[in-house]
Amino acid sequence: MILYDFEHERPGSLQDVAARLAELGPTAGILAGGTDLLPNMRLKIRTPATLVSLGAIAAQPPGTDTDGWLRIDALTRLSEIENSDTVRAACPMFARSAHVVGSNQIRQAGTLGGNLCQEIRCLYLNQEHDFQFVAPCYKRGGDCCYPYPKNEKDFCASVFMSDIAPALIALGSDIELVGANASRRMAVEDFYTGVGMTPTVLRADELVGAVMVPPPPPNSGWGYHKSTIRGGLEFAMVVVAARVALGEDGETCADARIVIGAVSEGPSRARGAESALVGAAPTPEAIAAAASAAVAECRFLPHHNFSVEYLKQNAEVYLRRILSEAFGRAKTGPGKGGQDQ
Amino acid sequence: MIEAVKSRSRKRLITLTVNGEEHEIAIRPNAMLVDVVRDQIGLTGTKSGCSSGSCGACTLLIDGRPMLACSTLAVECDGKAIRTVEDLADGERLSPIQEAFLDQGAVQCGFCTPGMLMSVTALIASNPKPSHQEIKKALEGNLCRCTGYNAIFNAVLQATGQDGIKPIMF
Repeated sequence: MILYDFEHERPGSLQDVAARLAELGPTAGILAGGTDLLPNMRLKIRTPATLVSLGAIAAQPPGTDTDGWLRIDALTRLSEIENSDTVRAACPMFARSAHVVGSNQIRQAGTLGGNLCQEIRCLYLNQEHDFQFVAPCYKRGGDCCYPYPKNEKDFCASVFMSDIAPALIALGSDIELVGANASRRMAVEDFYTGVGMTPTVLRADELVGAVMVPPPPPNSGWGYHKSTIRGGLEFAMVVVAARVALGEDGETCADARIVIGAVSEGPSRARGAESALVGAAPTPEAIAAAASAAVAECRFLPHHNFSVEYLKQNAEVYLRRILSEAFGRAKTGPGKGGQDQ
Repeated sequence: MIEAVKSRSRKRLITLTVNGEEHEIAIRPNAMLVDVVRDQIGLTGTKSGCSSGSCGACTLLIDGRPMLACSTLAVECDGKAIRTVEDLADGERLSPIQEAFLDQGAVQCGFCTPGMLMSVTALIASNPKPSHQEIKKALEGNLCRCTGYNAIFNAVLQATGQDGIKPIMF
């Protein structure tokens, strides 16, 4: 199928791209890997008149900032993140989350920034609106909502399916947004609004410059799981990510970050479950209680024919497993079992 | 009165090195690489399947990386080296991967085969002895509705000279 006609520009630096975005306003689209944008342009979910390409800009290799944080350029391909020795050594969960995205061909093309800014998904939104679904939905600028016909408040109940964002939030990472005049830095969890119409706080004249991951606290461990039907080339039904740290005694939990993704308009942290775990011994009972508390406090939307009950049960089981894994890694030392496929 | 023709984006000239041969092609920005390779260069070995990045039939190598030609703008490939399935055989002599696909009966309707071959070529170039898990991971982006994948998996094992080929029962 042939795409509609558009213009294409290829500035030489991030600042030039941001300046062009400021001039063009909302009619511009940012093209990096194109694995999310181009299929969405075919479905007319997004119809930018001009594509501003990042193809002429080379990604900086992963490196360490002066403050000890790992800095990954947003233009880094996902295949480079999963295979980078630097990333695998410093934060295996990050490499793991890049490893489970899409297929090899998608990871060779897709970039980190593109994955974090991907369009939200919905069974109805991600279809051509010219045959079964003639009227545009709220997200497409229309006046209806197919999954929720009684939705009259102009909200978009769709799901943000990045596999990497939950891992980055669990690691406590920051994101750097580059604008024409200034750049700003914020925690990745503040980058997501949890609103379907505007899933991120990215302005029309900004783009993601880099992601910074802090060094892990002592005695910490991680757990990550992406639930799918087939196990490959698939969007997630549930993503769970956790990073825990044990205290100096090695017996009580000193820090916990639990994130559930791909079940609502943005990744959500289970702060109640986290604070219940901190200070307690990570017994199987405490882990089970934390998993069910996390599922109870996060927002779940039914999506892609999965019911809320099914998604909640799936998230609870895998949260329990990844929390035990994380505490196991925290006890045996960092990086253990980090590269299992 | 004839209405004014809506202005279109201008064509631009790009240079593609396809299978070692340089091509200068005039295209509009909305031209996909798969359409340029098939219709303008005339190499129809690369197949266009789902056109949305889900099936992998259009896989070819761009600067050695397996990429999806249906989700890549041709204008973004200006100056890059592209390798398609036509380049694998040396005249009449098939590449070891192609021979293994024939031996193991890994081709049925054949529509996914060019993409499979390119994915396997890229895998073996970077990893001459891939583990079973690595083979599965490298081929996860290539869908095949005929073979059930086992014959293809066997073919990769044969091409890399590894044991573990399980006979397929019919």
